[in-house]
Amino acid sequence: MSEKRCVTINPPKMCQPMGAIYAYLGVHACVPLVHGSQGCATYPRYNLCRHFREPAELATSSLTEDAAVYGGRKNLIEAIRNVHARMHPELIGVLTTCLSETIGDDVKSIIRECEEELDGIPVITASTPSYVGTHLTGYDNALKSMLETLAAKGNPNGKINIVTGMINPGDINEIKHILQVMGVSGIFLTDVSQTMNSPIKFPKPHYPEGGTTLAEIGDAVNSLSTITLSAACGTASAKLLERKFNVPAALGAMPIGVKNADAFIQNIARFTGKPIPAELERERGLLLDALVDTHHYLYGKKAAIFGDPDMVAAIVRFCAEAGMKPSAACTATPHPNFAPQIKAVADEYNCKIEILEGSDLFALQEVMKKEPVHVLLGNSKGKDLANDENVPIVRVGFPVYDRVGAFRYPIIGYNGSIYLLDQIVNAILEHKYDQQKLHQ
Amino acid sequence: MPLILPKCDVPIPERRKHILIKSSQENIIPACNIQTVPGDMTERGCAFAGCRGVVGGPIKDAIQLVHGPIGCAYYTWGTRRNLSDMALHRKYCFSTDLTEDNVVFGGADKLYKSIIESYQLFPKAKAVLVYATCVVGLIGDDLEAICKKAEKEIGIQVIPFSCEGFRGVSQSLGHHIANKTLFDKVVGTREPEVTTPYDMNIIGEYNIDGDAWAIKPLFDAMGIRVLTIFTGNASFDDLPVMHAAKLNIVQCQRSSTYIAQMIQDKYGTPFINVTLFGMEETSKALRDVGKFFGLEDKAQEVIGQETAKIKPQIEEYRSRLSGKRVMVFQGAPRAWHWIRLFEELGMEVVVAATTFGHKEDYTKIIERVKDGTLIVDNPNAPELVEILEDYQPDLFVSGLKEKYLSYKMGIPFVNGHSYEEGPYAGYLGFVNFARDMDIAINHPVWKMIRQASGSGL
Repeated sequence: MSEKRCVTINPPKMCQPMGAIYAYLGVHACVPLVHGSQGCATYPRYNLCRHFREPAELATSSLTEDAAVYGGRKNLIEAIRNVHARMHPELIGVLTTCLSETIGDDVKSIIRECEEELDGIPVITASTPSYVGTHLTGYDNALKSMLETLAAKGNPNGKINIVTGMINPGDINEIKHILQVMGVSGIFLTDVSQTMNSPIKFPKPHYPEGGTTLAEIGDAVNSLSTITLSAACGTASAKLLERKFNVPAALGAMPIGVKNADAFIQNIARFTGKPIPAELERERGLLLDALVDTHHYLYGKKAAIFGDPDMVAAIVRFCAEAGMKPSAACTATPHPNFAPQIKAVADEYNCKIEILEGSDLFALQEVMKKEPVHVLLGNSKGKDLANDENVPIVRVGFPVYDRVGAFRYPIIGYNGSIYLLDQIVNAILEHKYDQQKLHQ
Repeated sequence: MPLILPKCDVPIPERRKHILIKSSQENIIPACNIQTVPGDMTERGCAFAGCRGVVGGPIKDAIQLVHGPIGCAYYTWGTRRNLSDMALHRKYCFSTDLTEDNVVFGGADKLYKSIIESYQLFPKAKAVLVYATCVVGLIGDDLEAICKKAEKEIGIQVIPFSCEGFRGVSQSLGHHIANKTLFDKVVGTREPEVTTPYDMNIIGEYNIDGDAWAIKPLFDAMGIRVLTIFTGNASFDDLPVMHAAKLNIVQCQRSSTYIAQMIQDKYGTPFINVTLFGMEETSKALRDVGKFFGLEDKAQEVIGQETAKIKPQIEEYRSRLSGKRVMVFQGAPRAWHWIRLFEELGMEVVVAATTFGHKEDYTKIIERVKDGTLIVDNPNAPELVEILEDYQPDLFVSGLKEKYLSYKMGIPFVNGHSYEEGPYAGYLGFVNFARDMDIAINHPVWKMIRQASGSGL
């Protein structure tokens, strides 16, 4: 079946509600409210729980046949009231679904009907039907809605907005570290680093500690600039800040590997006028040292990478930097930046990289059969593919549920890149390497 | 009045009718199988989940094609631990991946092409099961017609399920849709090559973490031929001959009594309800089945052998678990299936709850628990927090979504939905279950956590 397949088989993508929930869960004391069938809340929730090994509390308006016929107004109003009365949130993050979008609920005006009863607690609406975009679009839509609703124009705050996207607590902590050593304050849009990685503590806090506050989101319009870590998952929000509030934006690339991490740090330096501190020079040196230490193991090794477009593009570049031959790059979320980023790596490093955009893992497997690789990088959905093709898999992205701890460690920044590099090398060494040669 | 309203439910007094304390003085059951209070943070899912996830999903050699936008297909891809001895059903996720255009102009063409292509790519598949999602019900694709047309083209059955997520009030209606559809379209369409007087189906057994593999050998050893397991590790080809069995036994009496009843009504095949969990109830099930087939002696022999094998281990676990108080929250039947099992280990159920139980489920719970036990229908997150805090059970047995909440509250937990390391059914499974409860309750980490709750470092 060489012509374009119609059926999708093993898609490495989820739907918009997943991303919107992710964005909302990075806000302190926010309850996401899924306006749709109960499954639209339960399924994403299940995915979150198994990736983070954390509770993920969200509400649903529990639409049933009645709503499919008469609309979901009654359920949504009741749901908002109940979430407010029982959960005492600081923010209610409504997101729509296929059902509520297709029946045509005017969610914004429904919310206006009950807004006055909520003691000033804001209610956000994100339009996130599953039939448009992917989880990344959903994240961006929810974030954009939050910025639109909460914007509080004031004095310049000298901060940098970081649109995190669907990255892990470990990654966010690494960015916080970079900002801290540079002496820069950041606003994280949004921040799951504590809300989805919380300690056991008694009494259990009603809401997990951490998360971006509403005041911070409102203040994002007064920042020096916005940096997105993923163009596919933050462009709409960054552009809003740029166009409406004159906050200049730098979009992607995800700071994995030497060049991309350099660019990220240079962007911060450029926007803030801060010098690049010796500490980051040292970390960069450690990454180079790690690359040197391992270059005999990796040179010429082929890699296939799948997942969200910016992460894939960044890992493709990093693999090339490590002397590997990235041979396949697969994403299910199409994005205009994806192919150009991959092509640039192919040209720069003189390698041939099969680009699969808007594609699935079944297609990736066909490519891997033709062009076998030494290692596969992607989330837990790649494990069968890796088994079939007898290659090791390095688990990156979301969700990772068949191994523990993926959410804890960064793959971003120099430190994260070192961790990722070690994982790639060790995967290759453990899988297929003459053990006799490993005694040095 | 034994009905109670938790503190967190003061703003939603309609929850009162769902929550009660059992009292043998009063014969009431909680309100159940009705619409969830919107926004109450329910743990329920949708009809699609019940149909695709629970009943249809385990059929191992069918193409499980989800007709809709990507989410519903993705979230049911290899999620439930309904194991099988082949790869197709859990390894592959088939979706028509509907986009905005399809919602406007219809998804019929895409569905037809997707069925044909799936079969071309997986020609060994025995059937194509097509599941409708919310949006499909709204745009009005004629699934029956498309599937019929595709069936003619590829020569294997293509079966549409109208399991749009908005149907019904929980997963439960999806179970019924799956039962009815498979009964109407598949059961009785072929006669088995040979029949024996000892042909039996096991219904409502989904091979979660290998449960069916712990159960079936018991009946094999009794000289019974298990014709079909509905649907754990089932080949699609096992389903058409179900009507030929002499007896159906029903394990999950929420999700699949329907088909047993339909088979009885149409073909006269009797069914008996069984609990294949714990030593006592598994033995009772074997005796009941033995009695039906006139195999009492064989049943007794198997029971003798199997119980002798596990008794020493169960005694050991009993000594470690005795006196522990359990809160159990399951889909429905396992909340009552396990009450006797806990008692066999000297444990006591203090709270029993179900996600989507019907009247029958609560009747069975109430029959089995002691006075004073809290019974909750469709509990939601704030209620769970309040109940865990108030009751401080030694163990919470529930599903993954509740697991990490329990941990955060310092309460030991066993995943009763997909299990920690099953199987949990049958005799062998009882040992595993007891072991996992022992690990959960007696693990040293809880001591440190309880210390931390005091002075900290």
